[in-house]
Amino acid sequence: MDIDKGSTQADRSGGSPAGADGSGTQGGGPRGPGSPIEFRLDAASGVPTYLQLVHQVEHALRLGYLKPGDQLPKVRDVVASLAINPNTVLKAYKELEVKGLAAGRPGQGTFVQATLSQVALPELAGLHKSLLGWLGTADAAGLDQDGIVALFTSALRDFHERRGGMGDRPGAAGAETEGAA
Amino acid sequence: MSMNVIEASGLGKRYGSTWALRECMLAIPAGHVAALVGPNGAGKTTLLNLAVGLAEPSAGAVTVLGGYPAGSAAALDGIAFVAQDTPLYQNLPAADMLHLTRNLNRRFDQHYAQARLAELGIPLNRKTGKLSGGQQAQLALTLGLARRPRLLVLDEPVAMLDPLARHDFMATVLAAAADDGVSVVLSSHVLAELERVADYLILLSRGRVQVAGEVEDLLASHRMLTGPAAEADKFAERPVVHVRRGQAQAHLLVRATVDDPVPPGWEAHPVGLEELTLAYLREPGAGALPGPARGRDTQPSEVTR
Amino acid sequence: MTALTMPARPKHDAGLRPVPWRRMGWVTWRQHRAALAGVAAFLGALAVYLWLTGLQMHHAEAAYCHPAGSLGCAINFTGRYGETAILVSIALQAVPALIGAFIGGPVLARELETGTFRFAWTQGIGRLRWTVGKLVPLAVAVTAVAGAFTVLFAWYNQPWAAAGYVIPFSVRVFDLLGVAFAAWTLAAFAIGALAGMLIRRAVPAIAATLAVYAGLAFATGLWLRQHYTTPLVTHGTNLPGSAWIINHWYTKGGRLVSQSAISQELRGYHHAPRTQVGPNTFQTVLDPVRYLTQHGYTNWTSYQPASQFWPFQWIEGGWLLALSVLLMAATVWLVRRRAA
Repeated sequence: MDIDKGSTQADRSGGSPAGADGSGTQGGGPRGPGSPIEFRLDAASGVPTYLQLVHQVEHALRLGYLKPGDQLPKVRDVVASLAINPNTVLKAYKELEVKGLAAGRPGQGTFVQATLSQVALPELAGLHKSLLGWLGTADAAGLDQDGIVALFTSALRDFHERRGGMGDRPGAAGAETEGAA
Repeated sequence: MSMNVIEASGLGKRYGSTWALRECMLAIPAGHVAALVGPNGAGKTTLLNLAVGLAEPSAGAVTVLGGYPAGSAAALDGIAFVAQDTPLYQNLPAADMLHLTRNLNRRFDQHYAQARLAELGIPLNRKTGKLSGGQQAQLALTLGLARRPRLLVLDEPVAMLDPLARHDFMATVLAAAADDGVSVVLSSHVLAELERVADYLILLSRGRVQVAGEVEDLLASHRMLTGPAAEADKFAERPVVHVRRGQAQAHLLVRATVDDPVPPGWEAHPVGLEELTLAYLREPGAGALPGPARGRDTQPSEVTR
Repeated sequence: MTALTMPARPKHDAGLRPVPWRRMGWVTWRQHRAALAGVAAFLGALAVYLWLTGLQMHHAEAAYCHPAGSLGCAINFTGRYGETAILVSIALQAVPALIGAFIGGPVLARELETGTFRFAWTQGIGRLRWTVGKLVPLAVAVTAVAGAFTVLFAWYNQPWAAAGYVIPFSVRVFDLLGVAFAAWTLAAFAIGALAGMLIRRAVPAIAATLAVYAGLAFATGLWLRQHYTTPLVTHGTNLPGSAWIINHWYTKGGRLVSQSAISQELRGYHHAPRTQVGPNTFQTVLDPVRYLTQHGYTNWTSYQPASQFWPFQWIEGGWLLALSVLLMAATVWLVRRRAA
């Protein structure tokens, strides 16, 4: 049976961002043309597609696969390899722009603009402590581990949705973070 | 790009004494990938045939590409159609299919077509009938896209394809949408892949348009409420689309946004496109059609139970 | 952008040049070249056969049949080739039907049967131009080829006509000569095209075309053709040999005599005295016509003189052409109307 040549593109989409080095397109040396990262799609995860793309960019930024000035994959290439709606990719890139992480250059593509702000260590410790407190309360109320995870996931989703169309959010682009919850 | 690629008002089609399509009101905007969804026999093929001029309406009218009558010269020029089972001349080699399509149209990008077929590994001198199903579908799609249409209409294009061929086919379609701004209207009864692909949804059920709108708006305007079954009937003031209930627990699909207050004791979750579609298909009396104004704060219109 | 309003329609197809006919010509050629080649091969084989046997017949006629009616002619020409010539002319009657059915039938039927019309009729050229661009070139092609074939048959038939063996009006050869053969081929094609559009499947359309053609051809040959112009009527037996005898009846005292009365009368004839003219041969003195004439009956014959051959050809060709145009127009109209 003939194998369509188009499948080579689809194969590449099977790699995670961590596969950028091993995808065979780049060596370990200076970055050539094209984007350092490649997107993947988990259709069954329940997370909206555009959010998956946003998270993958943020993840790549955290892990260092993406540096400021790097180009994000061209919309057309993402569409051709993942078979998703172009508006979805545009929406993801817009979201990244809103977060201040990326910026589009007309006629050239979308480029990484900044790193993710690191939350300072004291803040992290404070957040960790208040989380433990909350977990204690939940445990006393009788929630088991799965119940806690379900409750937390649902609250996180609501939080994101409420925040979704509201423009700038604190914590972007190296600005001072505000106090933890 | 503010025109509608397909507009229908009061559109109906009757075969004998059976109405395959009734009172269809549609306005599919350009620049979208619109999915036409519904069970078998809902009227999807009929609607697409009317839009591309293969059939004449029994009632109402349909116009395309900003007002041209369906089937007119301008409509035929700007629309590429791939029918179900991708009909091609089985005894002609691919090269002759290219030549034939070029001769039947005003515009044909020969270079694109040949490059694309080479990329796909489809030999030009092999008869169409000897190609695999996936290759035939890709050939039909290539011929359509080489005409540089403004609208691509696909009738269940991937129904007979294996998953890999399906993926590659849709990737080609979506890349064309990305590259050239081709609007796409495709019919499908496979719901699982729609959310990735479509940004406009039309749900046909029993010959009528039940749901029509941008996917983003539809998902934003529906919530799934989960709570005690005993209270499930108390939602008089809130449009409920579908109820699924167990002994103690019930799930209600309601018209609401994330900002609407959740009744105490109830949980609200967002809904996925597949779940939404299935719920409407199970409730033939319910509908969600765009009202006079677009936007998230529209009062729900024409939701009936 | 509102969903419920429909903007005023743009100017109807302003500025769209139609797709040139020449390009549709290639499409028709490419799609039907196998069928056309088949017809060409078929007619080519027939032509070779006619050519070879025709040469023999011409030779024999020239050698033996001047004077006509001699014994040598009867043996070497009429006797040797007569049966073949008859069979050939009968077999050739089927040729227009076959050409028309196998070329015309599948044109639309195949597209409808395989679903490829969903491709063809959504291309920029539009279904009307597509249909006309198929029907007209094919019609012209089959008509032209048939016309050429007629010339060959006329040559083949010439010794038989010269020997008085067959008159041009004969139902066996009339529609193989003049313009009739080409016109019948065109008509068969038009019937095939319409049948294909109505029946929508190729094989049944071919069968239906053959059946309808056969019915029409028989009806014309056996009944319609006689009535193109009023036949001449004469009594007596002085008819030119090449005349086409249409009908033959008797009157007595100015009134028509029925066939049964004639048969009754002729019973007496069978008991008329015979004269012995040789050892075992008896010859009846009178032939039936003279017998009846002698008994007061007048013998009438209606006929068409040979000079009416070409007028008849034009009449037949004319109405077949009109019919073909009508059928093809009906086919185009159906294409325009047809729903998916």
